[in-house]
Amino acid sequence: MAKDPLRTKLCDMLGIEFPIIAFTHCKDVAVAVINAGAFAVLGEAMHTPEEIAADIKWIRERVNGKPFGIDLILPASVPPADTLEQLIAKIPDTHRNFAQSIKERYNVPDPKGPIALHQWGGLNQEMARAQLDVVLEERAPVFTSGLGNPAFILEAAHARGIKVFGLIGKTRQAKRELEAGVDAIIAQGYDAAGHTGAMGTFSIVPEVVSIAGDTPIIAAGGVTTGRHLAATLCLGAAGVWTGTLWLASRESDVDMIVKEKLLAATAEDTSYSRCISGMTMRTLKCPWTEEWARPEAPLPLSAPYQMLLSSDYIQGANDHRREDLMTEAAGQGVAFVTTMKPARQIVFDMVEEALAAFEELTGETL
Amino acid sequence: MGDEPSPARSGFDPAMAGRRAECDGGGPIAGTRFAGRQEFTGTLTGEYVDHGDPPWRWYLLVDLSRKPEGYPGDAVWCESGSLFILDD
Repeated sequence: MAKDPLRTKLCDMLGIEFPIIAFTHCKDVAVAVINAGAFAVLGEAMHTPEEIAADIKWIRERVNGKPFGIDLILPASVPPADTLEQLIAKIPDTHRNFAQSIKERYNVPDPKGPIALHQWGGLNQEMARAQLDVVLEERAPVFTSGLGNPAFILEAAHARGIKVFGLIGKTRQAKRELEAGVDAIIAQGYDAAGHTGAMGTFSIVPEVVSIAGDTPIIAAGGVTTGRHLAATLCLGAAGVWTGTLWLASRESDVDMIVKEKLLAATAEDTSYSRCISGMTMRTLKCPWTEEWARPEAPLPLSAPYQMLLSSDYIQGANDHRREDLMTEAAGQGVAFVTTMKPARQIVFDMVEEALAAFEELTGETL
Repeated sequence: MGDEPSPARSGFDPAMAGRRAECDGGGPIAGTRFAGRQEFTGTLTGEYVDHGDPPWRWYLLVDLSRKPEGYPGDAVWCESGSLFILDD
């Protein structure tokens, strides 16, 4: 009897049936995926320590002892501190005027309340530390670092029985984290939603696999189908990390307007730009991204200045649910997200399609 | 760990002072649920800050010869695990 190609060392490490990891900001999606036999990681980077503790408890109560993960974004560089007023004062008039011209041309409404960005004020090491301390105290089964090297926390995490995964965009980052002893590496390619490195998934995954030894490598970036899953396993990955796939799922709490935009989108409807945050990220195209891509547009500012410029547009669009203005992070695999299915069904469809792909290749029934 | 804020302790490491380094930096993007990457090259002053326990060490990188487009300053704090010393 043929070996089950979907039974990987990641499955053995986590005690899961399918080597599929859902990265989601929605607890309902996470629970549905876990209970379908896959694994889910809840993105908690923008949550307070108290909210993280509550979310861990909420998930625990619904997954019957199955493992789950918590993702935080560990900052890796921080400019010397400025106040918000000092930051805003440094934005050049050319950029202010350009942002204002977009607002006027597209009739972008004002946000309904204070811009959330201005209130959060926690993008620093102290905030990340406080979030991390909760993950350790609550002994979340898996901690994933969505950016930044988690080496400094490995010993404390392992002492509490917590596995630590690091997400990387360069092979040298993977090497550093493997040497430190992380339990798995998520190798993320350029195709991904949100922030990405410069290497494509098809290149970075085998390169990291080649230096990883027995440590599982998880492929990320553009993965939305069972064929993608099968392909990454052939590249040597032990599983896939998927984000865009779940945004339009039935359980997802993403705005229905954005879900419909995602379902209609193809890879060409995504933009890879610094114009929203000052750091490159892949999102659905919208008037803001299109205007900043014009030749006469000023070069986007660095973070956090560009975000201070774009936040008025983003929040105004979201508060007033303006379909023509709204955007969302989306990977290049978005073209295959075409129907709004329950998360459980997405897992099973992906598994069936991957098995069919292997059967097609080998001629064996799996 | 507990309800108290994590302490931060400053120091100076002479072995790091003057060394050229690259930082694979970045962090959370304010107002979104995502992160972004930023890359820097510069010279380490040797100054560091340790945040919390176990210590999370950050070094000061100055005289930036490479920094993101539009980055206004000439200094950045870099997390030690994301620093790559160029003369190693």
